[in-house]
Amino acid sequence: MNDDALVFKALADPTRRLLLDRLFERDGRTLTELESAFEMTRFGVMKHLRLLEDAGLVVARKSGRVKLHYLNPVPIRLIHDRWIDKYTEPHVSALAELKKELENER
Amino acid sequence: MKKVFEIYIKTTPERLWEAITNGEMRSKYNFGARIKSDWKAGGRYEQSHPSSHTLLGEGQNLEVDPPRRLVQTMVALWDDDVKKEGASRITWEIEPVGDSCHLTVTHDQLREGANEQLYGGWPMILSGLKTLLETGELLTTPGSLMYATPSSRR
Repeated sequence: MNDDALVFKALADPTRRLLLDRLFERDGRTLTELESAFEMTRFGVMKHLRLLEDAGLVVARKSGRVKLHYLNPVPIRLIHDRWIDKYTEPHVSALAELKKELENER
Repeated sequence: MKKVFEIYIKTTPERLWEAITNGEMRSKYNFGARIKSDWKAGGRYEQSHPSSHTLLGEGQNLEVDPPRRLVQTMVALWDDDVKKEGASRITWEIEPVGDSCHLTVTHDQLREGANEQLYGGWPMILSGLKTLLETGELLTTPGSLMYATPSSRR
């Protein structure tokens, strides 16, 4: 599977999206902190975290005895630049043109 | 507060180091901002943009170990809100993996709840760096062109 496919697959699951949102709110959390938000076994949350790590969306760093998890938003940015900006930009600039024209008419 | 950013780029550590430390190359993916330094440990660096008569950022090089590791302090100067944040620390680590490099940028010593402008630009900067090194081209997404200058588009 290529990098993009890993990211899309990682994002396709609601539990994993929620994990990303929790890390977005506050970075550098332990598994214990993260699992408290889920009605799921510790093992289940760990499995989802592993998939997020494989996709590069979560980075784990040891700090003393604990493992802290950080959100790495770079792969999402790469998807944005490759798959989203391209399709949304023409609409944005068309609207900007329209605004300019309408405002000039006044 | 600490933020960690990682990316894989198909290039050599030497080219990656050059793209990070060469003023002209840096301006092509870093919101048009050039970087200038003698790249000696303990020395200073400055970031500037042709459309601004004041510096956008400055700091000190704490560790300079080409082409593997660069540790710098960063003082953002682009507006009054970010100026209030004072100094934070940026660590660039380059690790060769097969035909690529694993680049990690760790931005720490940030105040808890620090202004997002300080670290929010990293994904766009690193995406632009990857595109530049892998294709020789510039990212042309609207966000990355926002601060581009005629000379940095070349």
